[in-house]
Amino acid sequence: MIDVRGLTKIIDTGTHRVEILKGINLNVPKGQFLAIMGPSGSGKSTLLGLLAGLDTPTAGQIRLDGQEITGLPEDRLAVLRGRKVGFVFQSYQLIPTLTAEENVLLPYELVGSNGFDGRARARELLANVGLADRRDHYPVQLSGGEQQRVALARAFMVRPPILMADEPTGNLDSANGRHVLDLLISLNAQQGTTLVLVTHDQQLASYADRRIMLHDGLIVADEPR
Amino acid sequence: MNSRGFWKTALKIAWRESRGSSTKFLFVIFAVAVGVGSLTGVRGFSEVLARMLKREARTLMAADAYVRLLGVPTQPQLDVISNLEKRGVQATRVTETLSMVTSRTMDIPAPVSVKSVDPALYPFYGTVTLSPPGKLSDALRDDTTVVSDDLRVRLKVEIGDTVRVGGEDFRIAAILVSEPDRLSSGPAIGPRVMLTRAGLERTQLIQLGSRAPQRILLKLNDAIAIPVVREQLKKAFPDDAIFDYTESNQNVTRSLEFATGFLSLVSMIALIVGGVGVATAMHAHLIQKMDSIAIMKSMGARSSQVVSIYVFQTILLGLAGGALGVVMGSGVQHLFPPILSRFFQVQVDVPWLPSSAAQGILTGLLVTLLFTLPPLLSIQKIRPLIILRRAMTESARDWRSRLTDSRNGLLAGMLVIAGLAGIAVWLIGGTREQAVRVGSIFTGGLLGSLLALAGVAWVLLRLLRFFVTSFPLKLPSTLRHGMANIYRPGSQSESVLTALGVGVMFTLTIYLVQVSVLTELNRSAPPGMSNVFLLDITDQQHTAVDQMLRTQPGVEHAPEIIGTVSSRLTAIDGIPMDQYKVEGKNRRFAGRRVLTWSQNLPNGASVVQGAWWKGTPATPQVAVVDWIAKSLNLHVGSTMDFDAFGHPIRAKVCAIHHMDPHRIGARIEFIFSPGVLEKLPSVYYGAARVRPDSVAALQRVSFARFPTVTVINLADIMNRVQEVVNQVGFIIRFISLFAILAGATILASSVAGTRFRRMREVVIFKTLGATRGRIAAIFSAEFLILGIVAGLMGSLLATVFSMVVMKELIKADFHFNLMPNLIAVLLTALIAVAAGWVASFRILGQKPLEILRSE
Repeated sequence: MIDVRGLTKIIDTGTHRVEILKGINLNVPKGQFLAIMGPSGSGKSTLLGLLAGLDTPTAGQIRLDGQEITGLPEDRLAVLRGRKVGFVFQSYQLIPTLTAEENVLLPYELVGSNGFDGRARARELLANVGLADRRDHYPVQLSGGEQQRVALARAFMVRPPILMADEPTGNLDSANGRHVLDLLISLNAQQGTTLVLVTHDQQLASYADRRIMLHDGLIVADEPR
Repeated sequence: MNSRGFWKTALKIAWRESRGSSTKFLFVIFAVAVGVGSLTGVRGFSEVLARMLKREARTLMAADAYVRLLGVPTQPQLDVISNLEKRGVQATRVTETLSMVTSRTMDIPAPVSVKSVDPALYPFYGTVTLSPPGKLSDALRDDTTVVSDDLRVRLKVEIGDTVRVGGEDFRIAAILVSEPDRLSSGPAIGPRVMLTRAGLERTQLIQLGSRAPQRILLKLNDAIAIPVVREQLKKAFPDDAIFDYTESNQNVTRSLEFATGFLSLVSMIALIVGGVGVATAMHAHLIQKMDSIAIMKSMGARSSQVVSIYVFQTILLGLAGGALGVVMGSGVQHLFPPILSRFFQVQVDVPWLPSSAAQGILTGLLVTLLFTLPPLLSIQKIRPLIILRRAMTESARDWRSRLTDSRNGLLAGMLVIAGLAGIAVWLIGGTREQAVRVGSIFTGGLLGSLLALAGVAWVLLRLLRFFVTSFPLKLPSTLRHGMANIYRPGSQSESVLTALGVGVMFTLTIYLVQVSVLTELNRSAPPGMSNVFLLDITDQQHTAVDQMLRTQPGVEHAPEIIGTVSSRLTAIDGIPMDQYKVEGKNRRFAGRRVLTWSQNLPNGASVVQGAWWKGTPATPQVAVVDWIAKSLNLHVGSTMDFDAFGHPIRAKVCAIHHMDPHRIGARIEFIFSPGVLEKLPSVYYGAARVRPDSVAALQRVSFARFPTVTVINLADIMNRVQEVVNQVGFIIRFISLFAILAGATILASSVAGTRFRRMREVVIFKTLGATRGRIAAIFSAEFLILGIVAGLMGSLLATVFSMVVMKELIKADFHFNLMPNLIAVLLTALIAVAAGWVASFRILGQKPLEILRSE
């Protein structure tokens, strides 16, 4: 599902050059739950961003669901992301001027889908995450945990084959974090997506089928469960 | 797979974001409204007037058609009119001339415009309004007159009193309030006096050869069509203008088109300033929305889909601003009728017209959309990655992406310029060639000014920062903090300064040019230049008038008196004028011309080609002034044929001369050798340099001896010109004030946009012990300095532009005046402080904990 060859990312800040990733090779089969771990500054979020097509590598290739994404122009990347990748961010990243239901519907409206009723699916997903009665509420009216649940529902809206999550419980207390994690794993199991999760939380990573450890821009450990 | 329904979501986001940013956007809407308001006001009034001219065409000319001649019609011409009368057409003559009037209570004669009519027939359409109310045919007899109210005041007379016109007495029967064909005569030189035709004859003001404009008014009947009448009139009056009601009043229409086009461009300055405000506000807004934009892109939104949100938002702003502007414009329209009434005694109602409202809204929307282009381009550059990582940003982007950004920015800039130029061309009207030329010059000039202002702003802000950082502890902290707010990163000071500065620059330029023009007109004339002119001196009077001038106290130099003969130029080098090749606008020279004669080269003239005659040449010779020689392709040796009162004259060009423009004969293009014209019906004109305190005495003496001679004091003309220049200047400055208002609104908008930052700062200051007064002083210092800098910039550029306009366009000296510049800087500072406080007065009252809790 995800194939990475020689992935390198170097950033030039003007005063110095930083090599964030130094030639990563990685293959993630379909349906696998992969946890990417590592200390702060190890390149976890950078790797995730590159895999999602949010950034361009300095060198190397990335294939998502059989399609080469390196070198694609931004608008084509956007369309690809919309169809193939669901995303859950640490800071929820909901659109503040849209209600919960409208936020969940957003990917469907942007890219469209195969003939299903978008509104019915959005409501079903919100019900799955326990927010059926909050669908007309704006993000400012929801707690952190509730916002992250809406973000989860949004990520699964168009049934993407790949889901990427960047510290999804990082801004939540342990109870909410647990709840969100349970939802993420159960939804993932239902939909059969390939899940790539960035975390520094050992306990969270213990649920993954496979864990890779990044250190200083390189994969230093790659362990199945 | 096509995306479905996103446009509805885009509209939702646009609407909800606009509501959420209502304070900031309210100022932007107002800035757009100000520009639309001034434009709608100008064009609305113009359209009302144009419709009135068309609808009331018959009333405004008091006839179905008329011929305008410069002299008395010849017998063949009168025969043509008689033939038309036999076919049922009614005809009447209206003669207008200048003269002098006195009364028993005021023996210093006043120059007046005299109009003679046949009250039994005139006017064919419309009515003459008198006070007390009554019919003109009852009030106006051969021994009575009706006069305008200003003459009553000037001569201290009342109804029933007698006034003397051209040496004859007339009893004032009523006050003349309005005439339907007033617009057809043009602005009056002085008060108005109406006489019957017999009354005018009694005064002997009109002689053969007098240049008194005449109109022959015609009322047609169903039996004869306008084109047929025009055909006959054109043949009989080949050199004279013919008008009919189907084409309204061409002179007035042309003047109206010119004034409308010019004032529309002035309004456009306000619109463009509003557009700058929209661009600045949208840019700041997009920075705040970067996260939302990045989220949408990470969800799969293409740049075009994201852009659509902000295009919708811009349309909402443009429409709201346009609608508010239309309301303001209906108020602006009411500025013009009193001015029109003052100069032309014409009352105009100003109903609301949907067409000019629609035009205003559309223009406001177009300008708003154009100015949003550059900030919308930046949406492409927002990378979705920023929601994952903001900490490390790449600074050294490769040359390819920098070139692409520059190219896109340049393209957007060119689109904006082309769009603005297109709008300017549309607003100007007139011929396409003229509109394109003027529109391009205006757009180029305005953009050049904006760039110059932005450049000056950049330099001044850098100097300000240098000044503050070089002397940190020597300035009071209030001033230091206020100044620091201006040049800190993220402040929009350059845009604010440019927007406010352009309005100040334009308004002050108009004022400085106006003052310079009037100073130039009023300053002491070159030595020997005449300041008193005598008109309509007959052949029998000219020797006596000359003698009177030579012996009258106060006359400083020997007077100049020249005789003139009215004629028609019929051929050049044997080629009849209707076949002679004369370019476009020069065609006006190929018709009726005024000739004069002189033995010697006149004072102020110099021969540039050929030679002046000596003695009395055997065959007629003519000297031609240089500029008309060029226009008519004349050279030494050319032959010219004239017809003067039925006498053919052929003369050879023996000299081409240059004439001093200040001389009385400067406008006479052809000077004949002696012995050719003297026996023809002629009218003489005189000029003299008279001490200002002796002019009234001269007028009194001249009127007593020569009541038909009009004596014009240049000072009176200058007063009238000054009045007109002041009124025109006032109107232009009023419209350009809208640009200043738009600039002030943008300052307020910019302050409103930094509301949250200011609130946090207020909290920190208060927590550290600052009083509200101290915080208010810091804000005030910031607004005051912004206003002073904008005023300085505007005043500097206004002085430069005024100098260029005076020297290059008006060809006169520029007189620098410090006081208007100082006042402009002071007023701009006050406006900036007011605008800044309107946008931020509520911040001071916020409690610190309220802000900290909401973080």
